Amino acid sequence: MGGVEPLATAWPYGATSSELKKRVEEARVLAVGAGGIGCELLKTLALSGFKHIEVIDMDTIETSNLNRQFLFRKRHVGHSKALVAAEAVRAMRPGIEVKAYQGNVKERQYDVDFFRRFDCVLNGLDNLEARRHVNRLCLAAGVPLVESGTAGYLGQVSVHIKGRTECFECQPKPAPKTFPVCTLRNTPDKPIHCVVWAKEMLFPLLFGAPEASDLNDGAAAEKEGEDSSAAGTADDPSFYKRQDGESSRQYAERVFRQQYGAKIEELRGMEDLWRNRPAPQPLDLDSLLQQAQGQANGSSASGGSSTASGGSACKALGLADAHAVWTVPQNAALFLQAAQQFLDDRPDEIGAAQFDKDDTLAVEFVTAAANLRAACYGIPMQSLFDTKGMAGNIIHAIATTNAIVSGLIVLEALKLLAGAPEACQTSFLHQQVSGSKRLVSRMAAPEPSPACMVCGTASVQLALNTNTWTLQQLVDKVLKGRLALIAPSITCGNFTYEEGEGLEEDEVEFYRGLLSRPLSQLPGGGLAHGSMLEVGDQEQHFKAQLIISHREDWDEEQHPEGFELSGSLPAAQAAPPAAAAPAAEAVAAGEPAAGVRGGSSAAAAPAAPAGKVALQETDDGIVLLSSDEEGDATEAAVPAAAAGKGKRKAPEATEAEDGEAKKARVEAAADDVVDLLDDD
Amino acid sequence: MAVVADKSKRYDRGIRVWGAHGQEALEAARVCLLNAGPTGTETLKNLVLGGIHSFTVVDGAKVTPADLGNNFLLTADGLAASRAQVATECLKELNESVAGSYVEESPRSLMNSNPDFFRHFTLVIATQLSEAGAVTIDKICRQHGVRLLLLRSYGLLGYVRPSVPEQRIVESKPDSKVDDLRLSNPWPELEAYAASIDLAGAEDVLHSHIPYAVLLIKAAQQWRQEHDGQLPGSCAERTAFKDLLKSWQRHIDGIPLEEENFTEAVANAHKVWAPPTVSSELRAILEDSCAAHITQQSPSFWVLVAALKRFIEQEGQGQLPLEGSIPDMHASTQQYLELQRIYRAKADADAAAVEAHARNILEAAGRDPASLPTSEVKHFCKHARYLRLVRCRSLAEETEPASCRADSLRAALSSEETAANAALYVLLRAADRFHATYQRYPGSFDSEVEEDAALLKSQANALLAECGISGAGGSAAGGVSDDLVGEVCRCAAGELHVVAAVVGAIAAQEAIKLLTGQFVPVGGALVYNAMACTTSVFAF
Repeated sequence: MGGVEPLATAWPYGATSSELKKRVEEARVLAVGAGGIGCELLKTLALSGFKHIEVIDMDTIETSNLNRQFLFRKRHVGHSKALVAAEAVRAMRPGIEVKAYQGNVKERQYDVDFFRRFDCVLNGLDNLEARRHVNRLCLAAGVPLVESGTAGYLGQVSVHIKGRTECFECQPKPAPKTFPVCTLRNTPDKPIHCVVWAKEMLFPLLFGAPEASDLNDGAAAEKEGEDSSAAGTADDPSFYKRQDGESSRQYAERVFRQQYGAKIEELRGMEDLWRNRPAPQPLDLDSLLQQAQGQANGSSASGGSSTASGGSACKALGLADAHAVWTVPQNAALFLQAAQQFLDDRPDEIGAAQFDKDDTLAVEFVTAAANLRAACYGIPMQSLFDTKGMAGNIIHAIATTNAIVSGLIVLEALKLLAGAPEACQTSFLHQQVSGSKRLVSRMAAPEPSPACMVCGTASVQLALNTNTWTLQQLVDKVLKGRLALIAPSITCGNFTYEEGEGLEEDEVEFYRGLLSRPLSQLPGGGLAHGSMLEVGDQEQHFKAQLIISHREDWDEEQHPEGFELSGSLPAAQAAPPAAAAPAAEAVAAGEPAAGVRGGSSAAAAPAAPAGKVALQETDDGIVLLSSDEEGDATEAAVPAAAAGKGKRKAPEATEAEDGEAKKARVEAAADDVVDLLDDD
Repeated sequence: MAVVADKSKRYDRGIRVWGAHGQEALEAARVCLLNAGPTGTETLKNLVLGGIHSFTVVDGAKVTPADLGNNFLLTADGLAASRAQVATECLKELNESVAGSYVEESPRSLMNSNPDFFRHFTLVIATQLSEAGAVTIDKICRQHGVRLLLLRSYGLLGYVRPSVPEQRIVESKPDSKVDDLRLSNPWPELEAYAASIDLAGAEDVLHSHIPYAVLLIKAAQQWRQEHDGQLPGSCAERTAFKDLLKSWQRHIDGIPLEEENFTEAVANAHKVWAPPTVSSELRAILEDSCAAHITQQSPSFWVLVAALKRFIEQEGQGQLPLEGSIPDMHASTQQYLELQRIYRAKADADAAAVEAHARNILEAAGRDPASLPTSEVKHFCKHARYLRLVRCRSLAEETEPASCRADSLRAALSSEETAANAALYVLLRAADRFHATYQRYPGSFDSEVEEDAALLKSQANALLAECGISGAGGSAAGGVSDDLVGEVCRCAAGELHVVAAVVGAIAAQEAIKLLTGQFVPVGGALVYNAMACTTSVFAF
């Protein structure tokens, strides 16, 4: 594709030429994602004359998609996005060929050969992992990629051509946000801590797979190596099994008394924890229920039966206003009602349920559970609407932004087909025109970064404790979690580890046996400080070198996961610290200290100015939306979920991110360089 | 109940951007669309998805095969049927809670025969009208107090022009906000609270949890005492100020303890000497004659601006009402809550003072002083620092040589950054004149592109000359380069979907700003140049 001939009448003059029209008709394009951006994109492609379109999406249609994903109707809720979208586009333009795949783009069948068939790939994806995967396959297949993302009124489109412009991963991507487990379990001080606790710890303990909850994981406390008191707060999962003859109501009350009564009392007993902060106060269920009764009688709303409520506990209790912050007694009543309904109405899911932001009852339960915990700790409670935003990492996706971004994507695709890659650019869509700002601003597509470990050849430092880290943790947390590999392989001297298809059964068995071993105890002498690892993923045609650096002291606040990735840039490439200090206007998606971007993490962090960076969490990444020297983040662009709601400072690593973020694209002319994802 | 729940689900993402009150405003909007080409239907599609109350499509054409190529709403089944009808039916399918109707008549003839037709709408979206048509609908809309958006997709050129006499914006939602903490000039309660905290006597835990705002108030006070009442001004003084803060930190064996509140205080020290100021935009609003003459008809915005002005002159002593919220800071929960209470109490008191002024002003104007809800006053005060006003000129003012802002146009044509897009603006108008003269757009026939280019160029030059702009003033080749003239001719007047999609989306976004009263809409003509992928806004 790099070799597309320029048009006889060059771009942009040839934009409406019959020559380009013919190329467009013959071109084969892949749209990855049929969500907010995908719907717009498919429509615009079809109406711009494209005749061979393929689309892949694994999701099914939800009601909350209908405000923007206009190819879908109410009757389609529950159906495959890819299939319904393809059908709609075919109806729009008879004679067009639209092939739909309901599947995950990371599946093995969508390999390099699959990608190679396309003239270009257009992304409208909702998660970072998949975007990284597609980037690698496009690089391997030599197919140009047009990337995009939106959040609220902000949008971004960029073009990635192997060897010519930077790849999607040349700019470091933010690491997923995590919270120290002991903060969540013992010492929350922000609403988000309570929400994450309710969603990730309590919800799975009651309804899901208990092993997914860190609450019951005695080992969790152990592996943190913190003060032994934390171990005492872990839960015995057998407590959360329903006993014979126990009604769902009795069970819910028992859990309530345990979580908000006994456990809080137990925590209060750990005096060390409360030297610097006020101890939590237990809740008394009986008096709360009395009050709730009083309130219900006072108002016209009265409790209803669960069967009549259509799956909503709020409805059963007459809690209608999702924007209101309910009282503690109301939350207590909701907690019991939601738990009860879950157990009674959805028995098949118990033991395997997963939190889903579109699951009304799950959101209601998490809201009540988080608010009750907040009440114990004197943390402000939240409305259901806000809790849902936090728990679901909801990106504000609106139709107009998606439509603008899709138009820009197609324009870039046209340039590629016109043989005018030099005209390709990164476009930024701003919230509003103010001052000299333009609604759409642009930047020439940057050149590939030699320090990129994906399209370049840079190696990366991995600091961790080789004595306590197991191979399993290395594979899950670093290779899969951070480097987005799907079937990783590792080679270091005589030691090899492989995953994926094509292995003999005894090999699989052998490798599985290695997983629980500490890194220092692996065959071939073990991994130690200075070990050089070749890591790779055959499917992604990805290869990189990791250099281990052994470190024993970890600050849980700064590195809750206990490892750090950092690059090694050629000296000439490293930004001088001075460049990071001035008030750079530009903001980019910056990797915090754990970034894979080279040398910069060392160079930038100490010199970083102390402005604040507004973070938005997404399904599996943080998006930096805005930064301002003076402090506050944009009100509209930044969801209540991440900024400003918490009472205290933003969680760990912000300073480091800040420096990196500010530095990363100082050269960019745009005022808000953002890294955005599409919402579902 | 089920409907409400479904609605809140459907509109969830929108509500997260513009709030439940913004959604309400949207759900009350009655929108009229002129011409159901791709630009118009794309715009309306986005608004229907967002949940407006209702729409009416005005279009006199029948669906032709050409429509099928660039308008997703129109399908082969609809061939030869009314374009307005087919588009309306398809748009209604997108959202069953939005009502739709249509008028099968050309916008031009409807404007002439029944201008009163438009008075019932909240917003008119007029697409693909020539300049003459745009001037007419603008006059009608202004007469009836209806907001108007004018849109064009012309080849690779897009045009979005809101026309509202006055958009008064309380929630402007600026990209960045500055905390209003009054650190260098605390009011008595805040000052007393800061004084009540004994830095030296505090035990270590407490000492490391004193909010940075308190530390800065104390430091500013001490600095002033030692520097004749002045705040740190020079770079050296500011460093010294930070050193003063650091000197208060606790030490063990000469090594300062890690106290996060002090780190924050140093990082936020600039808030002492660089408090938020009254912006020039706000200053202009305060000085606006609308605020000086409150009448029976004055909108509540202006009543409140007048009250705000009195507050600043009297109780505020030059300051705006306090916004009342405080940023996150490292502190014990109790201290943080107490500080929050103090700021909130002051904000409430300030809002009450503004409210008293507003009631007096209403009374003096012979209006019911109780007609202004307290909640509106509070909302206004909370956002007072970021009030914005957008006044769009009428199309007639913009296009008539006597009143057009020739200087701005000349400047835009000669600035490197805007020259191309300003020239496209001129060429779009020149193309309309071309059409008026020859009954076709330039470049309609491939064989005549060269000739048309010359004709278009002379139209453009004539237009510029009328405004007093000659070749000497504009860019080297008479304001409009031959290259651009050639591009505009080659791409002809076609309504390309890839352009219409972007114009329709930008337009819908501006429409939502106009309807919700949130964010600042563009105040002039937005030119989208799809060739270069840039936008410019011109208020000529």
